[in-house]
Amino acid sequence: MIEVNGLKKIYEVKRRQNFFCSEKEKIEAVKDISMKLEKGQIVGLLGINGAGKTTTIKMLTTLIEPTAGTYSFDGIDAIAHPDKVKRQINMIAGGERMIYWKLTAYENLWYYGQLYGIENSLLKKRIEELLKIVGLEEKANLPVETFSKGMKQRLQIARGMINDPKYIFLDEPTIGLDAIVTQELHKEIIRLAKEEEKGILLTSHYLSEVEELCDYIYLVNAGELVFEGTKKNLTDYVFSKNRYVFSVKGMDEAIIIKLRDHLRSIDLESEVMHENGNAVITSKAELSANIAEFAVNESLIINELHKLEPSLEQAVIKLSKNIESKGVDIA
Amino acid sequence: MKYFFKVMLAESWKQHRNYFSNKLIYVSLFLWPFLSFMASYYSYKVFDIEGSVVSYISGGNIMVFLLIGYMGMSFFRSVVQSAWHFSFERQSGTLEYIYLSPASRMAVILGNALSSVFEGSVAMAVFGALIILYNKESLSINVIGLVTVIPIFLCVALLWGAFLNACFLYSRDTDFLFTVLEEPMEIFSGVKVPVSIFPGWARVISCIFPLTYALEALRQVMLNSADISSVKNVVIISLVIILVLLSATLITIHIVEKHMRKTGNVILF
Amino acid sequence: MDLKVLRATIKKEFQIRLRAYPVDFMLGCILTSFYTVFGAWMMYHYFFGKRLATDFSNLTGTSDYMSYAIVGSLVYMFVVRTCLNVSRRLITELREGTLESLMLAPFKRTSYFVGNMILQTIMTLGETAIAMVIGVFFGLKIHDFCFWKFVIALILSIYGFFGLSLILGCVMIYTRDTYISQNTLFTAIFLVCGITFPKEYLPGILQFVGNIIPVTDCLTLMRADFLGGLTNGRFIYIAMRIFLVGSVYVFTGFPLLKQLEKIALEKMEG
Repeated sequence: MIEVNGLKKIYEVKRRQNFFCSEKEKIEAVKDISMKLEKGQIVGLLGINGAGKTTTIKMLTTLIEPTAGTYSFDGIDAIAHPDKVKRQINMIAGGERMIYWKLTAYENLWYYGQLYGIENSLLKKRIEELLKIVGLEEKANLPVETFSKGMKQRLQIARGMINDPKYIFLDEPTIGLDAIVTQELHKEIIRLAKEEEKGILLTSHYLSEVEELCDYIYLVNAGELVFEGTKKNLTDYVFSKNRYVFSVKGMDEAIIIKLRDHLRSIDLESEVMHENGNAVITSKAELSANIAEFAVNESLIINELHKLEPSLEQAVIKLSKNIESKGVDIA
Repeated sequence: MKYFFKVMLAESWKQHRNYFSNKLIYVSLFLWPFLSFMASYYSYKVFDIEGSVVSYISGGNIMVFLLIGYMGMSFFRSVVQSAWHFSFERQSGTLEYIYLSPASRMAVILGNALSSVFEGSVAMAVFGALIILYNKESLSINVIGLVTVIPIFLCVALLWGAFLNACFLYSRDTDFLFTVLEEPMEIFSGVKVPVSIFPGWARVISCIFPLTYALEALRQVMLNSADISSVKNVVIISLVIILVLLSATLITIHIVEKHMRKTGNVILF
Repeated sequence: MDLKVLRATIKKEFQIRLRAYPVDFMLGCILTSFYTVFGAWMMYHYFFGKRLATDFSNLTGTSDYMSYAIVGSLVYMFVVRTCLNVSRRLITELREGTLESLMLAPFKRTSYFVGNMILQTIMTLGETAIAMVIGVFFGLKIHDFCFWKFVIALILSIYGFFGLSLILGCVMIYTRDTYISQNTLFTAIFLVCGITFPKEYLPGILQFVGNIIPVTDCLTLMRADFLGGLTNGRFIYIAMRIFLVGSVYVFTGFPLLKQLEKIALEKMEG
């Protein structure tokens, strides 16, 4: 298990004042982040305003040393022993760079395998397996520059698996990919976590991706954790009220008024709005039974009645608006 | 140790495949030194060569004197160039992955320099063949001396490459460093004009370039049939240089890694 | 020629330079000139003890080797700076992705390049002046200066170098490379155009190559302006030759470049 507590990173930046003098300025990129990542789990790291995500990932991958805080990696103190950690992690970033274009797919994997000191016969076997998994076994001996974007991205995944890492950091892995390739990648990520028991930390700008893949979410704003929990926890937390869409044959203003009176008698704070021929209801209480009962009592023919589940995207947008308007975190 | 060599060989192989797959690179390794060599040769014609103040240079062997100079020069140039190319890995993002791995940084950097030593050797062989073809008679080789000097020459070049690699890798303005290093090396390390006749201040500058000693030793054993005892000083200095370059490279790598883990920035100077 | 485009180009380039003057580039060129002169100085004073070959003064019309080499290195620097800038212009636009928008605008290429050339010439003249001061320390002496001849030589040089830049630009756009093509050309110029030694020393074939590169003749005229040793008749003859060769370069360069631009844009799509 990866466990960080109170992780903090302060950069000292020299700001040049004139030709001779420069002033040191401290920038607090990460203020206080605590998180956990277990094997077989996919965890999302979302940032609201550029929020120190990159710094956090770099600290977790031991590329950067935290200013304060603890980082334990399967019981090892990762800050003191980065080399032990490096053998068991890897990172996969989106984009087409970060592989050698003049080398073939096989040669790229071989080279990175050597950097991890993997024994040759084992490496050969692993490369073949990986190329098969990412569907590049037929292109293994072609130079990467002839590959399409999606193929390069798949090669990135194989590269990120070359040392058979226990934990994988995915940094915007699907950026710039088309829908079909993205879907394939998602399947692969889920397989890695569920079948191979890898612990995966994912950052992404596509909230639908995080929604689809992640079991648990950390939301960071300006270097601080503003929320952690499952997607359901987050939407419940942001949207504390239930929302229903209700429509009947011959819906008119009179029905809306009647429905509003009926529901107010149960939940004083409930709201009924008339939108595009539907009634949109918000309430604290669970009202679906009461709405159905209203329709039966009034002998109305129901076209539609369902509860609206807010998406992660809506939740994050609302949350960031809240943060903006209050100027502080809402927790 | 096995791991170290594994990384070193993999790196040099990768570097070779990645940059030298472009055949144009050989233009810079052969054509440029050759054109410069010709220009230098013809610029000697302006002078009364027999009037040279250096004892072992005459109208007969001046061509060979120059060829040896450019042979060494093109070897060192290939090392500098490959170091310069490696600094591009910072922009392309592959450097980060190298840092993500537990591989020894020194092995990576040495491997890189090693790849260019291979290319340099090809260039060296061509210049060597030219020397023999053109003017065998003017050579006066001490075989034992040559056999001793060549491995030292290779070692110096390799470590000079490794040191520059470390510098290029962590510097902001690599292009500038590259131009600043290339031409002075040609002038001050005695490719065209022997260092022994330099005025004092120029000789101080020439001390900085390992090529100076490498060329002096090579010329002594090839033109002056000098045995080991007479190039003893140059050999000792070369060995000292090897040690200095090695430790400078190790220290640079160490400082940079520390700096990078603190600031998140690979660039040091 | 479209003066509006010319003015706009000069203004744009001037602003770019003003904001980010390529100091290291300039320094690099001045240093190159310094090293060339320094190398010549070492050979003359130390290596060969000031003893020149007997045919040197017959071939060059002067016995002042240092001034001969310094003028050569100054002109060389001038060529490198102007050619580099002008010919790299288009490929830079290609790389930065502005070539497409440039091509969209219905402007005249001539004005665009001439504008670049004029600005670069002004800047390079300044840099050459700095290098000249260094040259004086190494023994540059002016023996016989004629202002009008200098002006004629300068204008013709700019014309010839401009033509050369266009051809180099074509090569760069075609091969999409700057590093190899520019350095190969400059090393070749250094060899065949008589920068530090009279071209008569070279084998016939290389002399011929030197003659079709306008740098050789421009250098002869420039040397004549500072060091003398050339009759008026000969001066006019060489000047005519530069004009002719330069015109060949300019009038093949422009249409060729236009063709290659199209190819470059098509390649970009693929």
